[in-house]
Amino acid sequence: MIGRIRSQAIDTSRFLTDWMEHRTGIVTMMEHFLYEPVPKRGAWLYTLGSATLFCISLQFLTGILLLFYYVPTTDHAWDSIYYIMEEAYFGTLIRGIHYWSANFLLVFIGLHMAQVFFSGGYKAPRELNWVVGVVLLLLVIVLAFTGYLLRWDQDGFWASVVGMKIGSYSPFVGGATIHFLLGGDVTGPATLSRFFAIHVWLLPAALAPFIGIHLYLLRKHGVFGSEFEYSDRLAKLHERQRLELYESYEENGHEEIGETNLGRRNREERDRRE
Amino acid sequence: MYAPATGKAKPVEEEVITEENVFDRPDETIGFFPKQVLYDLFVSTLILIACCVLSYLSPAPLTEPADPATITYIPRPEWFFFFYEQMLMFFPGYALIGFGAVVVPTIFVGLLFAVPWLDTGPQYSPLRRPFATVIGLLVVVVVVLNMLMAVARIINFPGQ
Amino acid sequence: MAELQKDPMTRGDFLGFGILGTIVGAILTIPPAAFVLAPIIDVDILGKSDVPEGPDDWFEVGPIAEITEEEPKFFKVDFPVEQIYAEPKVQEESGISKEEFVVESALWVSWRTEILGDGTYGQSYRPSFLDNYDGGTLTEEQVQEAQENLNVLSSSCAHLGCPVRWILREGEGELLCPCHGGIYNINGEYVAGPPPRDLYRYTHEVREDGKLYVRHEFDVGGENGPQEPYVI
Repeated sequence: MIGRIRSQAIDTSRFLTDWMEHRTGIVTMMEHFLYEPVPKRGAWLYTLGSATLFCISLQFLTGILLLFYYVPTTDHAWDSIYYIMEEAYFGTLIRGIHYWSANFLLVFIGLHMAQVFFSGGYKAPRELNWVVGVVLLLLVIVLAFTGYLLRWDQDGFWASVVGMKIGSYSPFVGGATIHFLLGGDVTGPATLSRFFAIHVWLLPAALAPFIGIHLYLLRKHGVFGSEFEYSDRLAKLHERQRLELYESYEENGHEEIGETNLGRRNREERDRRE
Repeated sequence: MYAPATGKAKPVEEEVITEENVFDRPDETIGFFPKQVLYDLFVSTLILIACCVLSYLSPAPLTEPADPATITYIPRPEWFFFFYEQMLMFFPGYALIGFGAVVVPTIFVGLLFAVPWLDTGPQYSPLRRPFATVIGLLVVVVVVLNMLMAVARIINFPGQ
Repeated sequence: MAELQKDPMTRGDFLGFGILGTIVGAILTIPPAAFVLAPIIDVDILGKSDVPEGPDDWFEVGPIAEITEEEPKFFKVDFPVEQIYAEPKVQEESGISKEEFVVESALWVSWRTEILGDGTYGQSYRPSFLDNYDGGTLTEEQVQEAQENLNVLSSSCAHLGCPVRWILREGEGELLCPCHGGIYNINGEYVAGPPPRDLYRYTHEVREDGKLYVRHEFDVGGENGPQEPYVI
């Protein structure tokens, strides 16, 4: 009896998997996404990137949830957040996760960036992934800046006043910058509406595709990791080069020493000369 | 559609390692699933738990409603802008404010974008490209020092 | 997978892309740009303001007799703000909102004080008729004297807009910005720190009832050319 149910269940699940695979190709896609060789030695180090992604996902999720109660007007913004904190079920938690994961996000972005910089992970052919990463960093910084005002409390308001005034010192476009952010020429209802639109729609909408590109490029070129991931191969290479050098000594004497030992750059230069 | 990542074309034994392909594949690999996903999940879980615990231990702040006409409130940036705020102290006066607040950060961001083209050498290890490493460490040190100075200034502000 | 079919692009195709692209592009860029950049168009190009700034738009600050010689007095003025949904026309026609939308502004008002060579304060130019002023009508000369000797300062620091405060240091008072430590004297003149100029002064008027009135207008001039206060 149990055996029959079991075999039927297996048949059904196999049928459903095949059905989905035939129509969407999802199984192949999942296999492609999941079974990828990644560097082993620094595996814990590369969780920095995924931690960043996780924090951003938390931002999207809790941000959408907060919008169920938040009101972006000067007379109700503070009240609505007060309501979230004091009255809404798990309001403290939802807003707390939004706040704290934003802080963690900036920490992890910094660490992730430092890791990539010091391990040289931005070198060819991964230059554009670094560039996309810098774009993401800037977007997150502007998101952090614009989100602060939405509380419409003393901290957020004054930090934004200072931030906008800093923008007014931009050469040539100072006035336009600050009037764009203010939505007029004084801080008022328009300022909050603008920051709301920028924080909630404009920047997340810009952020999402860049995250997609970042991940696509990551998969295209693979995780570089760090040089210690390649130490065995480098050792083998150097060993072979040394042997070739000795051989060229024995065969040709001194004139053509080191031809095989030339680095990639020198070889390119030589090719260009020829 | 998807180009294969980290070249897995040839079996290890046949491959002749050259300058060109030495960085094609790491010495040792693991499958992304399940191990790496598990590590990622572990870190993510820690973050989520930390967020939950901190949400109740130190709830997201909400100070008094905004009062544009206050004279007692001291505006302070969030911690990740401390170093930037501190930097503004070093650019006083009409001629320098715009330079320090906008031009210098813009140049810095421009250089950040250009990093892959400023450091094109074949070396990856931070020890074998000391120039980039020293510059990177210098940036980190300047940011941290500025942060500490900002904290010191905020703590020592009269009337706080 | 099917081979990519690469038809050549004809003249007509090219023209079609050009025309249709221009139409779609123009509709999707110009109106949205004007929609979003409205403040820049209004303020920077048309010179409009969100606060009534006409010659008749004076707002009461307070009685000048309350301002003492030794220190500036803090006043609060509510300027009505005509911004998006807060515009009076919108509010009036909808009739829903009960709130009046204002820009609250903090002002420091002091009597002009002589600054001695070493930076200490000398004689104050507080009009002597105020010593025993009982709230009656002022004469034209008295109005003139009071108006000339008042510093009507915005509390927004000329550096980055933080609210300046009055503090006493070694017996001398000064206006201190808590953000980056900009210091101004009792007249609102720059003394030390990063600010690029003196505190912003409101256009003000003393009237016969002994009260001070201001307009939402500032002296933008300075040693380094005009500089807008922006955030106040």
